[in-house]
Amino acid sequence: MATFSVVQEGPVNALALNRDNTQVAIGGRNVFKVYAIEEEQFKEVYNLRSSKHLNLSFSCNDISWSSTDDNYLATAATNGHVCVWNLTKMGKAMQEQVYQEHKRTVNKVNFHSSEPNRLISGSQDGTMKYFDIRCKTSVATFVSNTESVRDVQFSPHTPHMFAAVSENGSIQLWDIRRPDRCQQQFTAHSGPVFACDWHPEMTWLATASRDKTIKVWDLGNKPALESTIHTIASIGHVKWRPLRKYHIASCALVVDCSINVWDIRRPYIPFAAFNEHKDVATGVVWRGDPQVFLSSSRDCTVFQHAFKDASRPASKANPQGMCLNNSGEILYASRVSVNANLLYKMTGLISVRKSSSATLNTSDQFHQASSTIHQFKTQLSQEPKCFYSLALNYVLSGRTLSEMCEHNATVAQEHGKTYVSTVWRILKTIYGDEYNQNSISLYGSKNNDSLSHNNITMDPSTDTDKQSKGGDTPAAQFSGGDEETEAEDQNDGVGFTSYSNFKLGMPRGDFFFGDNELDIELDGLNTVPDIHNGIRNTNHIIEPDWTLPNEAFNIRHEIQNHSPPPEQFPNQNSPDTNDEAPLPPDESILGFLTIANVPMRFDWNPSKIVISALKYHATLGDVQTAACILIVLGERRKLLTGLDEVTQEHWLLGYIELLGRYRLWNIATQVINLSWLPSVMQLNQQSTRINTNCGNCSKPLQRAGWLCDRCHASEYALCSVCHQVVKGLYAWCQGCSHGGHLAHMQKWMSQYKTCPTGCGHLCEYT
Amino acid sequence: MFEAQEINAEHKDLIHDVAYDFYGERMATCSSDQYVKVWDQTSDGKWNLTSSWKAHSGSVWKVTWAHPEFGQVLATCSFDRTAAVWEELVGETPGPGERGTRHWVRRTNLVDSRTSVTDVKFGPRTQGLQLATCSADGIIRIYEAPDVMNLSQWTLQHEIQCKLSCSCLSWNPSLSKNHPLMLAVGSDDNNPSNGGKIFIYEYSDNIRRWMKTETISSVTEAVHDISFSPNLGRSFHLLAVATKDLRILSLSPIADNANVQSGLYKLDIQTAAQFDDHGCMVWRVCWNITGTILASSGDDGCVRMFKMNCINAWKPVAVLKGDGSHVANEGHRSSVCSAASLPTPPVAAVVSQTARYIKLGTISQSREVPWH
Repeated sequence: MATFSVVQEGPVNALALNRDNTQVAIGGRNVFKVYAIEEEQFKEVYNLRSSKHLNLSFSCNDISWSSTDDNYLATAATNGHVCVWNLTKMGKAMQEQVYQEHKRTVNKVNFHSSEPNRLISGSQDGTMKYFDIRCKTSVATFVSNTESVRDVQFSPHTPHMFAAVSENGSIQLWDIRRPDRCQQQFTAHSGPVFACDWHPEMTWLATASRDKTIKVWDLGNKPALESTIHTIASIGHVKWRPLRKYHIASCALVVDCSINVWDIRRPYIPFAAFNEHKDVATGVVWRGDPQVFLSSSRDCTVFQHAFKDASRPASKANPQGMCLNNSGEILYASRVSVNANLLYKMTGLISVRKSSSATLNTSDQFHQASSTIHQFKTQLSQEPKCFYSLALNYVLSGRTLSEMCEHNATVAQEHGKTYVSTVWRILKTIYGDEYNQNSISLYGSKNNDSLSHNNITMDPSTDTDKQSKGGDTPAAQFSGGDEETEAEDQNDGVGFTSYSNFKLGMPRGDFFFGDNELDIELDGLNTVPDIHNGIRNTNHIIEPDWTLPNEAFNIRHEIQNHSPPPEQFPNQNSPDTNDEAPLPPDESILGFLTIANVPMRFDWNPSKIVISALKYHATLGDVQTAACILIVLGERRKLLTGLDEVTQEHWLLGYIELLGRYRLWNIATQVINLSWLPSVMQLNQQSTRINTNCGNCSKPLQRAGWLCDRCHASEYALCSVCHQVVKGLYAWCQGCSHGGHLAHMQKWMSQYKTCPTGCGHLCEYT
Repeated sequence: MFEAQEINAEHKDLIHDVAYDFYGERMATCSSDQYVKVWDQTSDGKWNLTSSWKAHSGSVWKVTWAHPEFGQVLATCSFDRTAAVWEELVGETPGPGERGTRHWVRRTNLVDSRTSVTDVKFGPRTQGLQLATCSADGIIRIYEAPDVMNLSQWTLQHEIQCKLSCSCLSWNPSLSKNHPLMLAVGSDDNNPSNGGKIFIYEYSDNIRRWMKTETISSVTEAVHDISFSPNLGRSFHLLAVATKDLRILSLSPIADNANVQSGLYKLDIQTAAQFDDHGCMVWRVCWNITGTILASSGDDGCVRMFKMNCINAWKPVAVLKGDGSHVANEGHRSSVCSAASLPTPPVAAVVSQTARYIKLGTISQSREVPWH
């Protein structure tokens, strides 16, 4: 069966199939035809509007094909007529009967499924009429006592019963033999009901309404709501799918142009959707086969749809959800896998096939949709704790650079961040207070205060100069070498490497690197993997050290033109990992001192190396280190000429953002205050700013929130709970303006309602 | 190596999305049952359901939190062709220490789409309140609330036509001034001949328009989820892609190649990593807040975590089984365990796994050595 269509000259309001589903009659305001349904196309058999004398009774709201006699059609006309057509006749005679009995437009006509010649109609005038098409007038009239009847359907189970639905939301069940009153009436929807359909096997009636629901009622005994389908638009038509107990097709009255087939056991998402129409569909008929149906639409087309061409909205739906939070926990929602045990546990509406789950067909799997959520806490969540603790313990201002670097290095070390710690120490070495910050770094002066770091640092680098003849090794390689180990260290703290090491029974901190691995990020810098591999390279490094003093002079002259020294820095870290490298400090100092006689030549600007180190940290996600170093450097960061302000701002904002995630407002504020970039400093002014005045002399407090410049007293900044000066977050009640330490006030207010000063105010904190 | 806690969400159908708020202390879930639920974590780690409401008249595909500086605000999108913005209102506090009643009110309903709205995301906080939606008919819409105090007024600022059906979108969260506003959109169109399935759009301040800067041609299978890594200090961007496998793409602006008219840089796009560990469809990708760890989930029912050890060198670090059971040999031999966790691994998956051994060998060989 294929999907194909035919275009009409006007919108199609309704369609009906003949008894053996080979022909379809379609009707609309300007359309009234019968088509034969062939393999790949529709073929016109009759055009009932070909006569010259057209009138309103030729335009149909609804159409029905006699299920007992293939030659009879009935239509519901917009002018209130019910017409019966005999296809064996020609011309005007085809219109065999015209019942002009309804006062307003007729919404629905339906032939009885088993009794020949019996026809029922439902009209906007609120009545239903029962016809015998051999008679000139109706046999019976049923008065619904509602404004209008939208649909009437004979029950397939009880031949004398029919259901009618009304615009006031009610369903009525009538007995053909009792026109005086309806058998049963109940309110089904909160809006007009537009359509109903009897289930072919069950005593179920499906109703469709403007309230965007399809409801299935069990009318076996007392009407009981069997299930509710929530749709996205008012539903104009519903039709049960043959041979599929739980499936029903629907089309919307507005908005939604697709025809949806629902499984009532999963009332939220269509089982299948057919999106061929460009305007809303007006009717659906199944061709007796669950795989094929026809539909008419306001877009002037009639389609035959094959089920295999349906789209399955549920298959595109994402069955999983996942999210990570800032403490490294993972939320994971996933579909519950269908297994036999679960199937047997299911009760109620769902009838379970006894076969194994492997043979479940798609429609069985379709309705068993449910998810579970798991929250995982992993070892990887140590990283956030480390961040939090480092943020709290780093000192960013108020001491000398050396002290801060030393302190922060110790803090990092305590958290297992050996290489962050090393970076802090190197910084201390390079920029330490003993070092004269106004001149460009001279080697000799640096050596005075530092350990062997810089000595060794310099030596291999010059050596590399010699070897590579100033080859263009990328500037980032210094950091590449150093931070590589640093990255592994982070790993260590975070659990992966340590985990593997633990399993292997190896001590922490011993790392084995395959050459390949390092190649990836070091871009073929051969010496560095050697460093990590331990002893092998020791000689390699030491040897050049010894030869250096003699050759240093010449090389430097050459190099200055084509290769800035910092680029050779990759080996700088070698002493870090190989502290055993024995370099007598005296000698190197001696060597440098002599060189220092020609200052310009020995200018060594570490900024590039520092920059690339910072960039490396930032790239690896450790923006904390990058931002904190920038802050601690203070004025010296101006020496980092290669680092543009946009990047600096990026790091600061990144750090502030992270601090915000952990609710570290105090530190975020400190970072903002210590910032040197206008755009960052303004962050504090963009939000609400509160100016405070001294409570004694009313002079605005400028320097600090707790000390008045005029009266030199801090008594008005006391916490009203502990009577100490508040130097951090000061929380106060806007009503009585008393307040104090945030934590104290919180504690107080959890127990009492009144102000701790005893002023009697019922304080309000939000 | 990990703890799993099961949360009984009591949704009546599939849960399509879960979202932590900015601080990771609240979560929102959404489901095909048309409900959205909001949960709060107690101090002992339990999740309490604090609100639950019928948000749409169709499946709710995605739920997302706005930055808390705009209040407690959620956005949802649905099969019913709308996206909605919700705000939590807290009633009168009954007494000290107690919390007032809470309920969520719909502040706006965005009804411009004519098909299912498949994703919704708030823009970076620095841009104020911006909301991007994408829909099954391939239209990306950018809304803005001009007054952040009034969540009921949203104006449609931009409408971008993307030729293919969109399934997911991601804002680039970079805080750097050097990086223009950037959106990545993925398509679930599963016809490989339709070309690349990921589109990168950038906002040009010069011409005040969104421009398509790239179509990533290396991804031709249906894309189910994409996510930009948080960029707190990188000069380049990382984009995780959930398709038939997991990809990590790096996008670096090429500095000397700006478009004269728009002022936008071209991007150099490289595949930083590609993992076939799931052995089947990958559905979701998600980053930790520093952008150092990537989690992915797939049809194998596992969450797999990957970590960047050095620049653009990625390794699997953990496998979490969706039902909370422990997966043996977690991490190091993920390829093996993925085969074991599938009851009947299809032949194709086995083939791809052998292929994966070769591919991964270059990255994780040394660590694997003791095992083989």
